[in-house]
Amino acid sequence: MTENIIECREVTKIFGGLTAVNKVDVFVPKSSIFSIIGPNGAGKTTLFNCISGFYTPEHGEVYFEGEPLRGKTTDAIASMGISRTYQNIRLFSNLTTIENVLVGQHHRLRETWVDAILNTRRYQTEEKASIQEGVRWLNFVGLQGLGNTPARSMPYGAQRRLEIARALGSNPKLLLLDEPTAGMNPQETLEMTALIRRLRDEFGITIILIEHDMHVVMGISDHIAVLDFGLKIADGTPKEIQANPRVIEAYLGPGGAALAKKYSRNK
Amino acid sequence: MKKTYLRQSFDTGIIFGIVHIFCVLIAFNAMLGSLLAKIVNVTSSLTSPAVGALIAYAVILGLWAGIASALRQRELSDGKRLLASLVTGSSSGLLAAVLVGIFQLMLILNINPRDYLTNLSLPFMQACLYSLPGLLGILANFFTFLISAFVGGLLVVGWNLHGFASIRHQINNAPKNWIAKLRSGSAKKQLIQKYVFYALLFVLIAILPLEWGSYWNYVIGTVGLYVIMGLGLNIIVGLSGQLVLGYIAFFAIGAYTMALLNAPIPHNLMWGFWPALVLAILLAALAGFLLGLPLMRLRGDYLAIVTLGFGEIIRILLNSDLLTSFSGGPRGVQGIHGPTIFGQVFSDVNYMYLIILAVALAMYVYNRLQHSRTGRAWLAIREDETVARATGVNTNKYKLLALVIGAGFAGLAGAISAAMNQFIGPGDQSLMASINVLCEIIVGGMGNIPGTLLGAFALKGLPELLREVENFRMLAFGALLVAMMILRPEGLIPSQRPTLELPEETPPATSSTLTDAAKIKPPEENPHD
Repeated sequence: MTENIIECREVTKIFGGLTAVNKVDVFVPKSSIFSIIGPNGAGKTTLFNCISGFYTPEHGEVYFEGEPLRGKTTDAIASMGISRTYQNIRLFSNLTTIENVLVGQHHRLRETWVDAILNTRRYQTEEKASIQEGVRWLNFVGLQGLGNTPARSMPYGAQRRLEIARALGSNPKLLLLDEPTAGMNPQETLEMTALIRRLRDEFGITIILIEHDMHVVMGISDHIAVLDFGLKIADGTPKEIQANPRVIEAYLGPGGAALAKKYSRNK
Repeated sequence: MKKTYLRQSFDTGIIFGIVHIFCVLIAFNAMLGSLLAKIVNVTSSLTSPAVGALIAYAVILGLWAGIASALRQRELSDGKRLLASLVTGSSSGLLAAVLVGIFQLMLILNINPRDYLTNLSLPFMQACLYSLPGLLGILANFFTFLISAFVGGLLVVGWNLHGFASIRHQINNAPKNWIAKLRSGSAKKQLIQKYVFYALLFVLIAILPLEWGSYWNYVIGTVGLYVIMGLGLNIIVGLSGQLVLGYIAFFAIGAYTMALLNAPIPHNLMWGFWPALVLAILLAALAGFLLGLPLMRLRGDYLAIVTLGFGEIIRILLNSDLLTSFSGGPRGVQGIHGPTIFGQVFSDVNYMYLIILAVALAMYVYNRLQHSRTGRAWLAIREDETVARATGVNTNKYKLLALVIGAGFAGLAGAISAAMNQFIGPGDQSLMASINVLCEIIVGGMGNIPGTLLGAFALKGLPELLREVENFRMLAFGALLVAMMILRPEGLIPSQRPTLELPEETPPATSSTLTDAAKIKPPEENPHD
């Protein structure tokens, strides 16, 4: 029995009259890649926001390593080891790439403003070590030699990778990736998939993924949860999800399961 | 084609002519002329300007028109460019001639336009006609423009002549070559050059306050205080991105702390300068902290309005009857004792040194903070507060810290200012002063030290120097701001992030290895293909 790093128990988030996420249970085992899929508006990003502390769920509770997250601020949650990226890239665009990663490391450093003014030993060593580590992360995501480029002047794919480097800077145990391959060409998508896999294999980071590209999802996920209209309609390994008639209906409409069966027989 | 370029030149001239008429009607020509006259020690005033001063002004405008016109016809031959400048000169001269023609008529008919246009006195109009009788004055005006525009055209054409090519090249590249030469030396040589530069700068700073007299010490001292405030506000607005409008309130708190602790009336506490200085900084910082607590929930426009209110509350409190017995009310506090050195009261030179020290300290602190974890946290908050939080930055803490440190800077400036002027009143704490500091960092360039220096000189130093032409200060100011917004929307010196020295890492994860890794295991099957 593997330990769960994240447990969402009956998480419910309501906006006005709309129940965006409805009593969703999600259990994510440690060091796994967990995908959340579902049609547009299914509540995937809302669930992400509940985990990272942007929203407080109306009912239910999110546990991170057994600890409830209710009442914690987003920065406290980030300090516990949850990092995320965003569906529409949100970098600190006027800062350089290395500075973006350094901000990611913020909560791990101890130097204060007094250290900075007095130029203490702690300031110097921390600054040097954090820059070194930041460069390592930049190299890891494939942005070597771009450390002093302003984030805003980087191409789209590089910005996505920089977002991941910034998230890695905080040395997370859990990484939430919101559509990391959106808008990428097949080559870039392939590279991104490899990168995500390496994060789990080399660093043991747990990854929760929102993704629309089924090649990616089925290729790298250990587990998949499917949301539709705020409800979790399926949960399991990629194979199980592919065979689940409710999932197929959610994507293809009523009668979709029969259609899919017929279609695959013809093939 | 021919018609077009002549028409263009004519239009350029008309524009310059209209500008000229406008300048004359508000006596700007007399103002500029009197500034020029001051250089050669000729007396010239706004009401009865010296003829030479007005001619000098007209020649400058004419030269400008000629140069502009010739530059505009870049692709034409030299002769045509000269013709263009001539046409420009004649059309602007024509307008100038019409204007002084009207002046001449008024002089003959004895009409005094002073009732409508306050600047147009009879001697002024007389001077605009170069004190020449009849048609001569009008013609002289016309030919001033024509000739100076032609000379302007000659300058442009001459500058582009082949013979000057090498000189032109040298002048254009001089700064670049000079810097390259400085950088080409060995590391040790560069270090020596750096130290020599700093030593020279130090000697210059040490000698200047002794040499240039009390007026300049006052002007530059005021600029220095504004630099400190600009840096403080830059921490709040430029780095942490909180638009705080009532910034002058912190200055007031610092100044009043100094005043109440070191003036005979109303309290006669006489703490001495240095303890009061420390307390002034601490109290201003405390005010920043207390103001910051309720502000943490606000962003953008709401923050600006609330801080604006805070500034006004402080000013109105200082002005009110309520606090008259405590802080002097509208009359302010007078006779503030300054610091002493070897039993002597601080002279203007000593104050200058004190301000230089304070500016150096402020610049040092600002610079250290900017490139630290704290500074990066501020910048992250400025860029995207939500994301900064989710990245692990305690935004409330850092926003408060920015307010506290920024307020401390203002407290320092306020305390020195109160001691230097030996007076502080509620009149100095107006909203305009807050906006001035904000303008200073916007004009100079948000979030960097050279920009703040330049902004302080442009907004506090220049108006001080132009004091005798007081009427035009606001005009020049407005024009400067409008021009800034069009030409350099990011300020005179836009901020740039530092280039950090990055270590070379040995095994880089190149994209090719990533691609290989991706080929490990393609997805087995796909449900929706």
